Amino acid sequence: MTLATQARPSPETAVRGRYGRFMTALLRGTIRLDTAIHRIYPTDYNPLYYTGGLANLFLLILVLSGLFLFFYYEASLGGAFESVRYITEGVPYGGIIRGIHRYAADAFIVAVLLHLFRNWFTDRYLFSRDNPWISGMFLLVFGGFVGLTGYQLIWDERAQVLTGLFLGMLRAVPAVGEPLARIFIGGAGVSNSTLVRVLFLHVAPASTLYVLLWWHYLRLRHPKIWPPATWVLFSVGLVFLLAGIIPARGETPATPGGRPTGFPMDVFFLLPFWLLNWFAPLFVVALLTVLVVLGFAIPYIGRREHPEAMSVRHAGVAQVIDGNCTGCELCYYDCPYNAIIMVPSPAPGLSRAAANRTLLAVVLESRCVECGICVGACPFEALELPAFLERDVRQAVAEAVRA
Amino acid sequence: MSDAPKVVGFVCDWSVDLAPLLDGGRLRALPNVRIIRIPCSGFMRPSWLEETLNRGADGVFVTGCPYGDCLNREGNYLMRDRLDQLQRRLVRRRIDPARLAMLAHGLHDQEAFLAEVGAFVERLRALPAAAPARPAPTATAATAAEGEGS
Repeated sequence: MTLATQARPSPETAVRGRYGRFMTALLRGTIRLDTAIHRIYPTDYNPLYYTGGLANLFLLILVLSGLFLFFYYEASLGGAFESVRYITEGVPYGGIIRGIHRYAADAFIVAVLLHLFRNWFTDRYLFSRDNPWISGMFLLVFGGFVGLTGYQLIWDERAQVLTGLFLGMLRAVPAVGEPLARIFIGGAGVSNSTLVRVLFLHVAPASTLYVLLWWHYLRLRHPKIWPPATWVLFSVGLVFLLAGIIPARGETPATPGGRPTGFPMDVFFLLPFWLLNWFAPLFVVALLTVLVVLGFAIPYIGRREHPEAMSVRHAGVAQVIDGNCTGCELCYYDCPYNAIIMVPSPAPGLSRAAANRTLLAVVLESRCVECGICVGACPFEALELPAFLERDVRQAVAEAVRA
Repeated sequence: MSDAPKVVGFVCDWSVDLAPLLDGGRLRALPNVRIIRIPCSGFMRPSWLEETLNRGADGVFVTGCPYGDCLNREGNYLMRDRLDQLQRRLVRRRIDPARLAMLAHGLHDQEAFLAEVGAFVERLRALPAAAPARPAPTATAATAAEGEGS
């Protein structure tokens, strides 16, 4: 009896408990959204298939516009706001560039969150896909922090309030809170060295994003890191338009010793600070920590289905049939997860085609997601999925063509 | 059933949700279509498709997720390319390449899936019956004309 011919478990038995049913509903909802989008766009152009590429695009826009802003920015309590005002009003197109930096940041975090939820809901973290997931969580944390320091750099009233709130949250952490806050502002209170540190904490984590992206792509062959040209043009046009129509300006400068009580809310980066309206700083810090830890744990907790219920989806790590492998590298090129490497062949193969091989394919079990794409790539019958063998496929075909 | 073309479909388990469509391994709406579930459309080895045709199926199709949405990112694109190559090979073996099809449908696209499979079956019906190079599944001497087939 092969996996393929077994009666497929109904969705009710395939999932476990409330969590499983909830995740299945989210999966179906996510894909129903795609169905709606496909009424407008061909599937290749569904923007939700390119959330990662879009985030990458917005990150590049941020780096380029950020470089421009960096040339004019002055990191001092007295000069920061003036330099920002000079960029906005004195530098040709400076206001536009500032707006682009601002709106691309919002678009970046939106794309990142869409990317996170879509890949979570469509099971793209299962098996050994935890590597992109973990690096993605780091990217999210670093990206959010870069957003916060970006708001502080302007050093207007909002930045002042934010700094106060953030320091309050840091100090609420037991034991290490006070030293952390001291490190963050460079002294006992906000001083001239504070903004230098904030500038560093804006630029350095932003550069780190690219290191994390390398990690993010490490296990992926041919990652989709760029959206289709139409969406690139649309996204670039969108941030330019927004920057032109609603320019980023009109902030009130920070006043030393001033105690402003409110600020314009930014839903994309400053949501945690909004919670401070009702909750103690320590509670918000704890909540954020729990959320991030849960996020990191997603690939390891609550598999939606048990292996038996996954049926054909859980066919085992691909195995190389040593005697048949000719070292042709076809599986190596097609494996989407870089799970197959070619090693010098220790001994000739058994089949005629494999007799003169110089290379041998090896499957790295820790990277295999059991998709079977290598099986389809191999013309020499040298790869098998243990629970769904070629023999099983042939048997299923024989049963299917019989009368 | 005798005049209905015998069709075998290999369907990716992540693509169309077949639970409401299946009836004992066949499509309820099109009983001449047998379904075999596979872990990803990229799992199909082209030689298996050719073998399925040689063993008496009138048509074979592979169904993957919508292009761009393969769970493994590339399975359906790879399969589409492999199918193109196989179709060129089939021409050389005097098997009508129209007997092969690659479909791409998402979880909820049951209607579109059925419609496309139905259209595929209709195309098969219009094809000239049993091309000369294809041995009948029961004929024993038919392999003579089939030197290159495997």
